[in-house]
Amino acid sequence: MTSGTQIAPTPILPVAPRISGRRRLHKLGWNVLGVIVLVVMVFPVYWMVATAFKPGQKILSYTPQWIPTSPTLSNFRDAINQPFFWDAVKNSVIVVTVVVALSVTLAFLAALALAKFRFYGRKGFIVLILGVQMVPLAALIIPLYILMSRLHQVDKLTGVIAMYLTFVLPFTVWTMRGFLLGIPKDLEEAAMVDGATRFGAFVRILLPLVGPGLVATSIFAFIQAWNEFIIAYVFLHTPQKQTLMVWLASFTTLRGTDWGPLMAGATLCAIPVVVFFLLVQRRIAFGLTSGAVRG
Amino acid sequence: MSRLAPEGAALSSVAESEFALASRRRRRLTRQRLGHAAAPYALLAPAAVAIGVILGYPMYLLVRMSFEKYGLFELIRHQGKWVGTANYAQIFHDSEFWRVLLRTALFTVVNVTLTMVLGTGIALLLLQVSRWLRIALTTGLVLVWSIPVIVAVDIWRWMVDYEFGVANWSLQHLHVGNFVRHDWFANPWTGFGVITALIVWGAIPFITITIYAALAQVPQELLEAAAIDGARPWRIFREVTMPLLMPIFVILTSLSIIWDFQVFQQIWVMLDGRPTSDYYTMAIYAFHQSFQISEYGLGAAIAVVMVLFMFGATLVYLRQMLRAGEIR
Amino acid sequence: MAQIELVHLSKVYSGDVIAVRDLNLEVAEGEFVVLVGPSGCGKTTALRMIAGLEEISSGEIRIGGKVVNDLAPRDRDIAMVFQTYALYPHKTVYDNLAFGLRMRKVPKEEQKRRVEEIARVLGLGDMLQRRPAQLSGGQRQRVAMGRAIVREPKAFLMDEPLSNLDAKLRVQMRAEIARIQQALKVTTVYVTHDQVEAMTMGNRVAVMRDGRLQQVDTPQRLYDAPVNLFVASFVGSPAMNLFEAGLESDDGKLVCRIGDTDLELPSDLVAERPSLANYAGRRVAVGIRPEDVREAAGWDGTRLRGRILLVESLGSEQLVHIEIAAAPLERSDLVDTAAQLPGPSLGVDDSERSVTLLGRFDRHLLLAPGEAVEVAIDPRLLHFFDLETGAAISRVDVPVATPVAG
Repeated sequence: MTSGTQIAPTPILPVAPRISGRRRLHKLGWNVLGVIVLVVMVFPVYWMVATAFKPGQKILSYTPQWIPTSPTLSNFRDAINQPFFWDAVKNSVIVVTVVVALSVTLAFLAALALAKFRFYGRKGFIVLILGVQMVPLAALIIPLYILMSRLHQVDKLTGVIAMYLTFVLPFTVWTMRGFLLGIPKDLEEAAMVDGATRFGAFVRILLPLVGPGLVATSIFAFIQAWNEFIIAYVFLHTPQKQTLMVWLASFTTLRGTDWGPLMAGATLCAIPVVVFFLLVQRRIAFGLTSGAVRG
Repeated sequence: MSRLAPEGAALSSVAESEFALASRRRRRLTRQRLGHAAAPYALLAPAAVAIGVILGYPMYLLVRMSFEKYGLFELIRHQGKWVGTANYAQIFHDSEFWRVLLRTALFTVVNVTLTMVLGTGIALLLLQVSRWLRIALTTGLVLVWSIPVIVAVDIWRWMVDYEFGVANWSLQHLHVGNFVRHDWFANPWTGFGVITALIVWGAIPFITITIYAALAQVPQELLEAAAIDGARPWRIFREVTMPLLMPIFVILTSLSIIWDFQVFQQIWVMLDGRPTSDYYTMAIYAFHQSFQISEYGLGAAIAVVMVLFMFGATLVYLRQMLRAGEIR
Repeated sequence: MAQIELVHLSKVYSGDVIAVRDLNLEVAEGEFVVLVGPSGCGKTTALRMIAGLEEISSGEIRIGGKVVNDLAPRDRDIAMVFQTYALYPHKTVYDNLAFGLRMRKVPKEEQKRRVEEIARVLGLGDMLQRRPAQLSGGQRQRVAMGRAIVREPKAFLMDEPLSNLDAKLRVQMRAEIARIQQALKVTTVYVTHDQVEAMTMGNRVAVMRDGRLQQVDTPQRLYDAPVNLFVASFVGSPAMNLFEAGLESDDGKLVCRIGDTDLELPSDLVAERPSLANYAGRRVAVGIRPEDVREAAGWDGTRLRGRILLVESLGSEQLVHIEIAAAPLERSDLVDTAAQLPGPSLGVDDSERSVTLLGRFDRHLLLAPGEAVEVAIDPRLLHFFDLETGAAISRVDVPVATPVAG
């Protein structure tokens, strides 16, 4: 650079931006409040995990032990050894896998129609899909029970799978459609101008780009199916056929309230969801409401 | 019509030369056009059938059942008995129904208000705190958000356990009152207090993160323009930020109303599947009528009333989504 | 109305990123000063510090003689026009215009009177009940202007207010803003990256680069006597031709060697630039404006031989790209690179020694690419710069030249 002959500018002292004392105090106040909110929000989750690792006599003490000083895995052992735990795991895995595979396939096809075609009834279908999500499950469960008993699907995993599939479909169609809309039409057209067929453009351009959307949608479907309680509770009577959430909810009724193993079981049930959730949380929020704020 | 008919125009101009060829091509063309027009419907069909059979038909069934006597006998025969509006007459004359309706409405108002106020408050707080704390807070919120409802219920049940619960011990030692062996669910007011805490706690993350994302989308120079125009921070919030966030608020509020009005599993599991009638909300009342005393027709009527009450909120939600350009 | 003074103003971001460096600038009462420079030169940061939207790291800002460093934007009594207009999307045009008055508790009737008056002047009378989304780009621009004017502030601050308009509208609004400013005589600081805008609008123009002020002057002086290579290359469209040349002393006379051609510098020119003699035997940067490159017919001085590469007809005149033998200026760090012509054309062997000279020629001259031409260059119209610092080797009557800093 222009070294040597340069006229030296007035030296700038390394001043930090001036923040008045009052402002710093303000910031401190907000931070203190923020820490309180954080502690209050996270404490229940912490308390679950902490309890899960505490030995029995520390749990049943009138003065709570805030930090598990002698952690043990015995609660987890007890939870796993509870009757029907492995049945429940197996059932949940079956239900969730089938629901995810089917719903994502159906949702992808439907979303393709909604995002890439203009046709009569398109908008109506979108409104229907949004509206249908608002119908309370607690209301529908009555006629569903009648319907399923006619079809001899009560106390069968297939019936539950069919219902889950339908209940996650609207949301998965909606999010898949969002992902597909996010892919510029120009890209496909460019591929076609470059010599690809319509199908070729679809396979080579659209499919790879929509990959993350498929993953995210699968995870949404997973979480919904994994967490569902009411349908499983009403339709699956035999303990061997129950899913994990029903197993967890009926935990206490087996031999009183045994908090240690219950919290261990709850932790086990939450882990897969927490992991998947952290992967896609941004998209869930935006899927529901994105674009509603516009200047 | 589909927009995806690229070959159409080119083909028709070429096809003039030979009559036979032309007509064959034209026929293929129309078939192709038809194919394109049918494509979206074919793609939509599987999802539509599933939704129709397992959502649409039951909705029809629900309405029909609400006009029928449908007990255990009818369940076995798979055939209800038409009774007109008798079910509705019965529930409307039942003071229990009105109590439940009022309770549910009150519960919804309290929960939605608390959720929205606290959720918005924390979202605004996120703008004020230091970076490290903002990251910690959002991570914590997502963690809470991801906890399955049934797990959350168990956690809160444990925290308010009458004997070893951490809530009783803390309140006792904070000298709020005598909380030794305090049973929160003996009194429905404190019982609902716990349930409200659980629901609000679980709903805050979604509300906060959504509003925070929306706040981040408010163009910075609008706030600056207002500051230069002479508005103080509170006025800027009221005059600029709030109106811009209104669509999001409407959507979130209507969603919260819909979710809280139909509350079921939190209460049901919290009370071990045996809630006393003091804890009945619309959903539990309908469930109880149907599955516990096998009056499916009555349960259906209650459920229909519940759906109608939620209809308003649903309409507001859909209209706002339409306006926001989400439905294109 | 008031004057604005920036005294040793600096802005440092997160410890070491310096956006504005020791800026001293005085904007007189009623004056229109344009801050111009390439993006990232600190001009917007400087403006935002005046507005109070950006904290001042060091130095002082005075408006009307009063230090405003610690005043909130609302207490500085300035109005600002934003690049994106920043119209409140949920308010009508009327409410947008009245917002500032409402915040300052101006009585309702007074608000109405002033808003309607401004709307009439700006031709927005029929649109008062519309929302910004229902307006065209030009109309939004007017509303943004109106919102600033209606408050009758001490000063206007404008941050690239025309950059979102299409070319034609921009020219029109350029004149309109200048006219409004002249009519109202409100002190105005205007930020732009477009030097044409700067030259046409400002009473004075302040050229910035890398956070440092390069030169503040009237547009004409800026054009005629740039203080360094950066200003020389930044101001003017098309930009000044710049290349390297050697200065030789020959029998007490100074000769400028461009390529193989020797251009004798007249003694009065050397007398005007006493320091030029010190450069004898060294290389300097030489610049010439396109309109000073002339066709050689009738010129009895030394001619430069060249070849026409391209002729761009502008209708009123033609821009001719002429390749001449000369050393290209290789100090891209000292000039505004955006304004420089690309390197030598395809198929030229001795790329080291050839420079494309841009000339502005009469439209009646018949010129074709490939033709050989001779151009006349009047040594008195040349600009000389130190090759090391980029500072102009200036005339005695010109303010002290500054090296290109940054």
